[in-house]
Amino acid sequence: MATATKPVEDVELLRRPNIPSAEVRLPAVKDYEQVDDEITATLHPTAQWFIGLGVAILFLVIGALAWTYQIYTGLGVAGYNPPVMWGVYIVTFVFWVGIGHAGTLISAILYLFRAGFRTTIYRCAEAMTVFAVMTAGLFPILHLGRPWKFFWLIPYPNWRYIWPQMKSPLVWDVFAILTYLTVSATFLYIGLVPDFAILRDREKNPVRKRLFAQLALGWRNTDREWRHFVRAYLFLAAFSTPLVLSVHSVVSFDFAMSDVPGWHTTVFPPYFVAGAIYSGIGMVFTIVIPLRKWFNLKHYVTINDLDAAAKLALFTSLVVGVSYACEWFVAWYSGSPAEKQFFANRLWGQWWWASALLYTCNICLPLSLFSQWCRRNTTWLFILSIFINIGMWFERFVIVVPSLSHEYEPWQWAGYRPTWVDYAILCGSFGWFSMWFLLFIKQFPVIALTEIKEIVKPRLKFRHAQGVDSTAHPLPFMPDTPGEFD
Amino acid sequence: MRGVIGLFRELDTTCDAIAILKKKKVGEFTVYSPTPRHEIEHAIDRGPSAVRIFTLIGGLCGVTFGYWIAIWISDYWPIVVGGKAIATWIPYTVFGFEVMVLIGALATVAGLFATARFPRITHTVGYDSRFSYGDFGVWIEPSPDKLQEAEQLLRDAGAVEVRVER
Repeated sequence: MATATKPVEDVELLRRPNIPSAEVRLPAVKDYEQVDDEITATLHPTAQWFIGLGVAILFLVIGALAWTYQIYTGLGVAGYNPPVMWGVYIVTFVFWVGIGHAGTLISAILYLFRAGFRTTIYRCAEAMTVFAVMTAGLFPILHLGRPWKFFWLIPYPNWRYIWPQMKSPLVWDVFAILTYLTVSATFLYIGLVPDFAILRDREKNPVRKRLFAQLALGWRNTDREWRHFVRAYLFLAAFSTPLVLSVHSVVSFDFAMSDVPGWHTTVFPPYFVAGAIYSGIGMVFTIVIPLRKWFNLKHYVTINDLDAAAKLALFTSLVVGVSYACEWFVAWYSGSPAEKQFFANRLWGQWWWASALLYTCNICLPLSLFSQWCRRNTTWLFILSIFINIGMWFERFVIVVPSLSHEYEPWQWAGYRPTWVDYAILCGSFGWFSMWFLLFIKQFPVIALTEIKEIVKPRLKFRHAQGVDSTAHPLPFMPDTPGEFD
Repeated sequence: MRGVIGLFRELDTTCDAIAILKKKKVGEFTVYSPTPRHEIEHAIDRGPSAVRIFTLIGGLCGVTFGYWIAIWISDYWPIVVGGKAIATWIPYTVFGFEVMVLIGALATVAGLFATARFPRITHTVGYDSRFSYGDFGVWIEPSPDKLQEAEQLLRDAGAVEVRVER
């Protein structure tokens, strides 16, 4: 029988002392039935959801129209100005790949480390990963003059008798992104299977029930299924974990393998990975904080969970800050005039404002997270997450554009100004991402039902301190804390 | 197959039932639970999952294929740059790694399907939708002469509902 429980107010939690982030406690969730009832209740579409979906589709249509215009007219409308032949599209590609990384970090790496706070936010983060990588994958295609020939990068027997250049980082990208998308989508789907079974068993609408039955693949919650599922899930997490490190390292090779000033540096792979995780956590806050409010899930995604995630954001922001310092140090220590000149230009040149913006958003503002009050204030976390998203987009802008516009020969130096087509396609990418995410949150549970049940205390007939022992005999009654069961 | 299904409200009574069934050897049994529980896993004690074998084989096949495709393509369509090797293992580690992860992950899913015996097209006898909600269940397949004994065992262990299904 479900238990109606009042969600814990934020204000009340703000007054409480901090608790270790590895633990997760859901004091307002009493039993398994409550989990199913409350989380599946979020699946009913509302007027606000339809409005949000409409806006997302509108943005997507704007982007699609701009792309159609670009295909018809040619890439020249995208604001490229030789030698700046990588612009907003590549910036946005790196941005979206980065967004995906926090999802895998939260769902896979924190799963392996048994960090409890991930349980309540990982489904959102995982879905975000898949949709962000789907969005990122469009940009190299958008960047092509003849986008319908993108498949030439995939090695397959063909009538042209030619094969890709396997030493090119662009081909590595194809393998890395496709692997990442496939493994992330598989990880998301396999984790959803037991939840599909719950939805199948509770759904009244025959069409949706049939759909969930197909998606659940006949899952029955047997001990055999759980035993193998848990092991398979662990291995998928183990496979996803190095992908977090490898994918953005490979993306960074697109830059670091060249000899362009500002790009040719060995710090790029860890720098990109840390930045990707940082930007992804920013996006997780942007998504999760409104969701927990609108869906009335504050007693699932607790302030403690957000606090722990904020500590992760603070840590990655510090790593990113150190990476910036390394870039500066290497430029100075290398003794290369071109490197030195480039970095001086980055700070005081035509894009000084972009550099100032990224350093403010990515280094200065996150320092506020040293304060527990800031970490536990959802309004500030949300505002900060917007700044992080903006800062990380501009970080990629500062990496891509100033480097190309300020290479070795002064006569080659040039400017770059994005056009309305660039901006429209950028908006379209947010529309594309938001559309998929909004569709996801009303079809599937945004919080993993079965994993939440794992952390909710099971119903017991007799009092046990830690449940029952391995031989199924009840342990003697020994409460963890005095009065625990009173 | 004819069997008996017992529905339990509590985790500890379910574990008690499993212990009794193992001791009495009434027949093969299956336990249903809304979420994986270590207590049930320990009580049943079935041993390690075989999924790991699929993962290992998939990963090894993937890394082999990843290196092979990169080397074969370079050899078949050589791009000759003075002083540089046609095929070189350092950049091709990217392909070896990525394809290892891809094939390894897909093989893990195949292993899950093979070992957990799903996808299933139809529901099997004994399943109750309450097992995905909040209750636990134990399904026994006893020989016909032990059917009543199995029913009684489940009731004694604390099942709130026991029924014979075919």
